Parts: sequence; C-alpha cells; structure tokens
Amino acid sequence: MAGARAFGFKGCRKIGGSQIRNLLNAKDFFLFDCDGVIWHGEKAIIGAPKVVSSLIKHGKNVFFVTNNCTRPRENYVNKFYRLGFTDVMQEQIFSSSYCSALYLRDVAKVQGKVYVIGGEGVRNELLQAGIPFVGDEDAPDGTIFNCALASDVKAVLVGHDDKFTFLKLAKASCYLRDPDCLFLATDVDPWHPLQDGRILPGSGCLTSALEVATGRKAMVIGKPSPFMFECISSQFRVDPAQCLMVGDRLETDMLFGANCGLDTMLTLTGISQMKTAQEYRDSDHSANQSFVPDYVVDTIADFLPAFED
Amino acid sequence: MAGLVSSRGCHKIRGSQIRELLDSKLNVLFDCDGVIWNGETVVAGAPEVVTLLKQQGKKVFFITNNCTRPRASYVTKFIRLGFTDVAEEEIFSSAYCSAAYLRDVAKLQGKVYVIGCQGVVKELREAGVPIVEEDTDAPTGTIYDYPLDPDVKAVLVGYDEKFDFIKLAKACCYLQNTECLFLATDPDPWHPLRGGRITPGSGSLTAAVETASSRKATVIGKPSCFMFECIASQFNLDPGQSLMVGDRLETDILFGANCGLDTMLTLTGVSTLEEAHGYKDSDDPERKDFVPDYVVETIADFIEAYEEEEG
Repeated sequence: MAGARAFGFKGCRKIGGSQIRNLLNAKDFFLFDCDGVIWHGEKAIIGAPKVVSSLIKHGKNVFFVTNNCTRPRENYVNKFYRLGFTDVMQEQIFSSSYCSALYLRDVAKVQGKVYVIGGEGVRNELLQAGIPFVGDEDAPDGTIFNCALASDVKAVLVGHDDKFTFLKLAKASCYLRDPDCLFLATDVDPWHPLQDGRILPGSGCLTSALEVATGRKAMVIGKPSPFMFECISSQFRVDPAQCLMVGDRLETDMLFGANCGLDTMLTLTGISQMKTAQEYRDSDHSANQSFVPDYVVDTIADFLPAFED
Repeated sequence: MAGLVSSRGCHKIRGSQIRELLDSKLNVLFDCDGVIWNGETVVAGAPEVVTLLKQQGKKVFFITNNCTRPRASYVTKFIRLGFTDVAEEEIFSSAYCSAAYLRDVAKLQGKVYVIGCQGVVKELREAGVPIVEEDTDAPTGTIYDYPLDPDVKAVLVGYDEKFDFIKLAKACCYLQNTECLFLATDPDPWHPLRGGRITPGSGSLTAAVETASSRKATVIGKPSCFMFECIASQFNLDPGQSLMVGDRLETDILFGANCGLDTMLTLTGVSTLEEAHGYKDSDDPERKDFVPDYVVETIADFIEAYEEEEG
C-alpha cells in the first residue's frame, strides 16, 4: 500500500478476514472516532467493546479522537464504562473540547479571558486547564445595544451550544473586532444525524455565522485539522506510519488521517456511504483524493474474527 | 461587447458635475442606512435633497436591505426624521420584496417558516402569505423532538435578535425536504452600532442555516437584482435612466452593477474611498463590479449642485 499512497491513490478497498488480520498486525496505534464508529448515541455498536478490549489485550495502543465537545473527559470515561467499554482510561480520550483547552494554554498561551460559546464539555475543560473564561451571563432582556462587554477578552472559542443565542453571536463578533483576539472553533462539523431522519446543527453552523459576521476565519482545533494528532503525539510517542485512523465521516475523519499522514479506514456504521467514497476516488478534482479511505469495513466488529487465534 | 471593459470611474464629484449627472437621470434610488440616516440620526441635508429631486421631476425610491420594519413603520420613521414627502409606495425593503417574491414569483402553496422579526412577519401577513405561528414564549419540546409543521413549503431567514439554536434546528429540518424553498432577505454580514460595536446581519444567520442544511439560500436583497425587478415592475423604470446611491460597495454598488444602473458611493456610511480604490486597482475582474461610477462625501452635496446654477 505504501507504493499506491506515494502516488496519492487511495484504495477505498473493502477488506475482511485475513486482510484485516494483516492490517492489525502491521499497526501499533489505533485511533477511533466515536459517534457512528463505536457507538450511536447511547448504544454501543455490536462487537465494538470487544474490539477495543481485544486490541488492548494484544498490546495495541488505542485512542479515541472525537470532535464531540459536549462532554468533559471524565464524563466520556463514564459513558465508555456505561456502554461496556471497560478498559478505557481518560488519557486515551482526545476530544475537541480538551484539545481546545490545551491549545489555549500551551500553544497560544493566552493572557486574558476566553469568551466561550459552548456547553459543559468546553467549560469544564477550560476550568481544568486553568483558563479564565466568560459567557452565559446574559440577562434575559439584554441586547447587543445595552449589554456589558468584558475588557480583557483575548480569545473567542466557539463550539456546539444548544443554548446558542443571537446575543452570544453578537458579543463574540464584537470581541473579534480586535485583530489580536484569537478566533478558535472546537470543530466545524456542519450537522449530526438524529433518530427519525432529523438533523442537529453542528459547531460548524455557529462558526459560519461568526465568520460571516466578523469577516475572519476561525482556527479549527478538531478534525480534519491535524492539531488533535499533535496533542496525542506530544503526550505519547506515536509514529504516523504505525497508525490507523478509523472513522465514519469522509470529510472529517479520512481527511484528518490524510492530513496527519495516517492510513485510514472508513466504517459504514455512521454517516458516510461507500458510494460517496467511490465518487471522491473517481473524481477529477485531485483535492478529493484526501477524502478517500485506504480501507473500508461494514462495521468495526469485522475485526473480531482476526483475534480468534 | 468584446474589448469593452467596463471600468467604472470612482470619480469624486461635486457642484456642476453632480448637476449634470442628475439632469441625465429620471430615477434616483437611495439606500437608507448610512446614506439618508444613521440609526435615528438623519444625515444633514438629506430631507432637503429628496424634496429637491422631486421638485426637479425625478422619481425617488428607497431601497433597503433592512428587514426589521414593515413599510408603514418606515413611513413613520421618514416623517420622524424630517422627510415630509415620502410615500409608502416609494419604499422597497427586503422584507416587503421577500413577501412579494413568495406570493408572486414562487406562488407559494403552503406555509413559511420565518426566522426574522416583526418587519418580515407583518409584510408576509399583508401579502397574504401564511406563516407558521409559534408561541415563542412557551417553547414546546427539546432540540430533539420539537414539533414540525407539515405544511411548511419555504424557509425565510432574516435579521432576528431572537435567533437561537432551536430556530436553527427547525429551519434545517424543514430544509431537508428538497421542495421546501430557502430564501434569505439579504446577505448583509454585519451592521455598525455605536461605540465600535457591531450587530450580526441576516447574512450571518443565513450562513448558519446554509451550513446546517447543506443548501444555498436564494437571496432577495441587494446585490441580487430582485428588488430592482420589484420596483421596475410597479413603476416601469429604465435602468439607463436610473442612479443607485449607496454606502456599501459589496451591497449597493454591486447591486447597481448587476442591474445595469449607474452607481454613486456616499461616504457617510460603511465603505471608504480607500476601499473603493482598492477594488479599482485590483487585478481580479470580478472586483470591478464593486467600483462606483461616482463618489460624494454626502448626498447633501446635491443641494449646492442646484444652488450653484441659481447663484
């Protein structure tokens, strides 16, 4: 596969049986997206907990790389346990909320407050990283005409917020008038599927609104930006060539893998379909090759036969 | 038209040059915010300019992306700020034109889900376009199970200070139906407030809905030509005889270019002369459409253009 990769042609090959076994032998690090890969909402994908514990038993390093910024990491540990993944530790979990806090503390070294549009996940991670923040203190009758604006806001961080309001958007826009104020987005996922065909707007929508209102582009922490891989690499000794990124969203997970130099696997239990992957592969537009996975499986449960020695 | 590059001049004019220009035009279209008023403060001389132009036999229209008021409310504002002879028929707001579009162009059969304020809601009601009635003070359901009205056949997005996550979620769910129309009153990204603050515009809210729905909105307001088509259909205007006066290059001037009108930038609003020259000097051919034909410091300069003749 190294040869094909050198020319930028990804296989998009559905694999099973011994092909999976060979792949599992060849890789030491497995990076899993969560939603649509190991669970759907509150239900584990059948076989997924066994896949994770088998990989760990076989001495593989397993990480979870998720754009979902709605929970702090301790909360994720509880969810893993609740859904039957009994040997996942907090250190293995890299969420866009956690990595946003790391970025602000260690890369930007922000001096001043962060204005946050986001929920408990983001706020909790900022708190744990010791980063002062404001947001959510609006009076019910407050407007952008009469509200107070804090004087020492040095960064705006936007993430999923189901209590998003026009006033938050307006305040963030005012803070970002200062070109020295950083503009960060946890992720730019446009939407997420719900049960019964509905969709839930993602962080990408709130970020788009803010980009238009300010004429500025956000710096994106989450996939497909490589920053979350840099976070993992800074804490663990990781060789990209020994990694496999497993995800369900071509434009997020596969592109992330391509950006970080990792082999990629699409699992079909989530958002993206085989048909779309093939369309990207067959497209004339060379940029679309980065969305194409190296490998495809119907579900990660397809790994299980490989562990039967 | 080969070889005929439209290079608009960006000429600063005053006095007799303004007089000559105005004598050659039958119709003058004014943007409002930043041109004839700023918020609740009139641009000095603007009411006199409007009266003067009408005395000279010109047709005067007001064409604004501001969708926060119904036309009747604009009439009151005009009076309040000293404009004594502006009739409702002369006012074309993006709210009014959005309602006209839904009723006359789309000929909508079904309801509209509106993200917007009273300006839009009232214009839709006046045009007889049914809207989803919601009791926003008693929200029902959570973001996962709020009720959806099965008769919604269009989503209209405009400036809305009560915009929130649930409205965004509902809009993008309605737009999953490919037959549901997607309209935006205007694309304005932001508007200046006092004290260096800004307020996000309809364009910002539309961007959120576009991202959530993976669809692009049909934009009613400037720089789209639709508002000119509204005026032209009611008043039989010849673009060649019309001058568009505005303060925002990417909105008003581009609108003029798109509709085949001569354009004038006034410097009492958002855009600066430097920005206009920046577009003029740009290599990008698309930027040429942002360059005005003429520039004035303020529309009050029209007054002295006529006084000079008489003096």
